[in-house]
Amino acid sequence: MKLYNAKLLTITCEILAQKNIIDILHKHNISGYTFYEVGGSGAKGIRGQGFQNEKNIKIEVILQEEKLSGVLEEIARTLFSDYAIITYVSDVGVVRIEKFV
Amino acid sequence: MDILELVQANILTPVVLFFIFGIITARIKSDLKIPEAISEFLPIYLLAAIGLHGGLEMRKTGFENMLIPLLVAIGLSILMTLYHYQILKRLGKFNIFDSYALASTYGAVGAVTFSVGLSFLKTQGISSEGYITAILATLEPVAFILAIFLTNMAISKQTQIKKQAFTKSKDNTDDLDTITVEQKTKLFQVLRESITGKAIVILLGSIVIGYAIDTNGFAPIKIVFEDLFVGAIVIFLIEMGIVAGHRLDDIKKGGVFLIGFALAIPTINGTIGVLIATYLGLSIGGAVMYGLLFASASFIAAPAVLRHAIPQAKPSLYITSALGITFPYIIMILLPVMLILSTTFHNMESMNLGSYFVEAWK
Repeated sequence: MKLYNAKLLTITCEILAQKNIIDILHKHNISGYTFYEVGGSGAKGIRGQGFQNEKNIKIEVILQEEKLSGVLEEIARTLFSDYAIITYVSDVGVVRIEKFV
Repeated sequence: MDILELVQANILTPVVLFFIFGIITARIKSDLKIPEAISEFLPIYLLAAIGLHGGLEMRKTGFENMLIPLLVAIGLSILMTLYHYQILKRLGKFNIFDSYALASTYGAVGAVTFSVGLSFLKTQGISSEGYITAILATLEPVAFILAIFLTNMAISKQTQIKKQAFTKSKDNTDDLDTITVEQKTKLFQVLRESITGKAIVILLGSIVIGYAIDTNGFAPIKIVFEDLFVGAIVIFLIEMGIVAGHRLDDIKKGGVFLIGFALAIPTINGTIGVLIATYLGLSIGGAVMYGLLFASASFIAAPAVLRHAIPQAKPSLYITSALGITFPYIIMILLPVMLILSTTFHNMESMNLGSYFVEAWK
């Protein structure tokens, strides 16, 4: 089966930044994403324990390359300095590329 | 009773002992934890219980007496947030964002602390005016809105200066305009979010329901919302103790100034609150709860609001100081001290408050 190239953008961040990220995605007309609660450790120590508001969240978005840099740029500009956040991009193959416009 | 005796007796209550127990379990790195669903459920339960209790009491006492204490409380909350900011900015040398975030954390009220206060009075067999719960609900957003408003003012002043520098190259002004508009919508959003937030919604809802059902309607649910109240606080405080225990190491990072601030401000604000409440004619227990509104710092509502509104502020500062220092200090020491203060002020008042105030102002 033919696979089409797309990009997977993964964002791991504190739960209170989730809304900001989803707003950015909407702004760039991206309506599909998946998120789940996660825990772990990083520059800000062990995270995901204690209050609900201090949990971490992982958001996955599949999108085409031309939208990627705009989204990434906005996340970096507005969130990197103030929030606990890690983002990375990987190449993925999808069957129905029309779902990820 | 002597202050020391009362403090000692207060520490030996289940509420405080289980809190200390929670801190110890965190320090010895035990894997004990309260299941997540329960620790999320308990604040809702506690607020519902407080609200029902407040609503019932208001039915008995009426709320026409409430207006003046409410307005005074809003005024005090604003005043306190402002002077916290000045202390933190000028003496503590914190940056503007941390200063405003901390100022509003300490200007805001802590609903958990308030519940512990109610259970403390319950153990002492002292009642308090129900409308203080309604004041709690009204006061909750005040300090945050003020701090966010002032932060936005400060930011837009900065952008204004940048704008003037940019006017020669006109291309950039559009960008700056959008920034100012964004700031305004942010303030409106915060106002809306904090009013529709779960804490205020459940609190106000239960006050109204408590007022509507009266004592007869309350009888069948009394076992859940009154008899189990102190027990539920005990379970919740194990969790609070664990969370606080994990944060104890962060306290050192905050510095000596912050520790001093986290102890002195509640003491001063609490005393002012008790004094004013006595002057306004609240009962002994009522004055303690009124003082507690100003002594307490918010550590559950604050992070949720501030992280969005002032993301530049470090949450480790305001959560750690509110939960790790102020909360234990209030429930162990300040509560009994405020009760003694309230009793003393009330005794003085019955003798001659007028001349006491004249003396005090001199």
